Amino acid sequence: MEQLRTIGRELAMGSQGGFGQSKEFLDLVKSIGEARSKAEEDRIVLSEIETLKRRIIEPDIPKRKMKEFIIRLVYVEMLGHDASFGYIHAVKMTHDDNILIKRTGYLAVTLFLDENHDLIILIVNTIQKDLKSDNYLVVCAALNAVCRLINEETIPAVLPQVVELVNHPKEAVRKKAIMALHRFYQRSPSSVSHLVSNFRKKLSDNDPSVMGATLCPLYDLITVDANSYKDLVVSFVSILKQVAEHRLPKSYDYHQMPAPYIQIKLLKILALLGTGDKQASEHMYTVVNDITRKADTSSNIGNAVLYECVCCAAAIYPNPKLMETASSTISRFLKQSDSHNLRYMGIDALSRLIKLNPDIAEQHQLAVIDCLEDRDDTLKRKTFELLYRMTKSSNVEVIVDRTIDYMISINDSYYKTEIASRCVELAEQYAPSNQWFIQTMNKVFEHAGDLVNRKVVHNLMHLIAEGFGEDDDAVDSQLRLSAVSVLDHFLFT
Amino acid sequence: MLIHIGCWVCVVQIHFVILINRQGKVRLTKWYSPYTQKERTKVIRELSGLVLNRGPKLCNFVDWRGLKAVYRRYASLYFCMCIDQDDNELEVLEIIHHYVEVLDRYFGSVCELDLIFNFHKAYYILDEILIAGELQESSKKTVARLIAAQDSLVEAAKEQESSISNIIAQATK
Repeated sequence: MEQLRTIGRELAMGSQGGFGQSKEFLDLVKSIGEARSKAEEDRIVLSEIETLKRRIIEPDIPKRKMKEFIIRLVYVEMLGHDASFGYIHAVKMTHDDNILIKRTGYLAVTLFLDENHDLIILIVNTIQKDLKSDNYLVVCAALNAVCRLINEETIPAVLPQVVELVNHPKEAVRKKAIMALHRFYQRSPSSVSHLVSNFRKKLSDNDPSVMGATLCPLYDLITVDANSYKDLVVSFVSILKQVAEHRLPKSYDYHQMPAPYIQIKLLKILALLGTGDKQASEHMYTVVNDITRKADTSSNIGNAVLYECVCCAAAIYPNPKLMETASSTISRFLKQSDSHNLRYMGIDALSRLIKLNPDIAEQHQLAVIDCLEDRDDTLKRKTFELLYRMTKSSNVEVIVDRTIDYMISINDSYYKTEIASRCVELAEQYAPSNQWFIQTMNKVFEHAGDLVNRKVVHNLMHLIAEGFGEDDDAVDSQLRLSAVSVLDHFLFT
Repeated sequence: MLIHIGCWVCVVQIHFVILINRQGKVRLTKWYSPYTQKERTKVIRELSGLVLNRGPKLCNFVDWRGLKAVYRRYASLYFCMCIDQDDNELEVLEIIHHYVEVLDRYFGSVCELDLIFNFHKAYYILDEILIAGELQESSKKTVARLIAAQDSLVEAAKEQESSISNIIAQATK
């Protein structure tokens, strides 16, 4: 059956023509598919590389053939091998006037190169030219390349043209131009600081995709300086309200939710603008509550929006009704015993609300413990993060002991280090007694000694040397003795 | 040490997209953060190990080197997107699904073979959905329209070529 499908597909491709025509490439893909070991696959690929190396430098290669060679090179690199000998040919293809060749060239260079590659300098001129093309598809290909290949140094070469494209008649171009400016901002904030008004204006673009794209740079700008954008709170709330009321075209619906990805972006922005600001937050309560009510609780994307509503509620100036809504969302997530994803999101949301309402964890105690004991490591770790944020003097012993037990079972050294550091931090901050502190540090060092920060060890030594400030000398020296025997254990094993 | 640009605060920052099959064979990789060729091989090996060995009923999210890998299995293929710790994992799970739905619509019930023999098209489509590691287009209709416009160029060019070669064939008879 599988074979028939393959043959059928080959026949279909042959009649479609285009790239799929070359028997050589089909044979290559098939033989790699049939390879029984990585070693065999590597042999085949290396042989292909040798072939391409020879043939790509032959004179007078037809453009169609070169296009195919480049695609084969993309394939080879995708499998983890080096095809850098072919990069220059991909670059040359971007200079071609034939849009098909040019487009393949752009695809290849965006896959082969990164923004710091030496060959970029050979592409910048072409990009500049293509950004001015009459054919919007050429402009789009160039903008895609810009988003991948332009760095701080090359921004000035393309910036003026990209800024103009923000007002291009085609919405696809405007959208990509904004994403490009966003990327410029990330590489070099000062390069686009004079263009902020462009982003503000495009918020009211007719096309929802363009408006949605504008939310990306605005989010970054607001993260850095929320105060300068407080005047937009009302606009953002209004847009969010309209989106939630299905006022955008149906093509933006996703699984019956109206433009949920745009809703999520807006909720994140509102969260930033409402933080610590009662007045700004007051504009938001109604719309966030409404969205929570309207969201589809049976779909992933509906729950993703709900999760974002909780994050927003946790970030902005607290409101009792909103807190209640957030708490019931969390309850619902945690009750889904057959959905690890939702329980995970529930635990995450819970840890965001902890700061505002420390008691909320107790309300969900049983669910939290279930997550802690779940066989799913991802869920377990998320729950340990929650515990970490819930720690105070009254529960530090239980939490740290439990965390150390878990730490001992971890094989992944990256994560083990993180957990060990957390234990140390909590012990230092909340230790109820010096005795417990020493014992705890001992356990951590015993099981993760090679991973723990040197500074921590020094601090501990220092502490012991200085003494703990106990009035009773006997107690002090008792502690010193136990401390020494503890350290002796891990220093000399 | 595998590095990534984690300092950009973004609406969603996807560091890379990887498609592998059950045997760990790579079907597509797209890198939005800097990874050398060597690092990429390591990333793929480590993530494949993590994702392929995970049980079916567990979270679709996995911790990996301080980042989160969001993955989902579709028949014989695993789609994986890597994001920062603080991002909305459920949203990214649906961004993966959005991409798959577009592929499905384009290829008509997409299967692994489609992606093997037309991986360049899978890249063109991905480039309309994500750009610079962020969600670019959430409307399937818009993505389909753009890809169709690009495809009609291909058709037009082929027709032109075949008509030219016909003319030449006639002329040289």
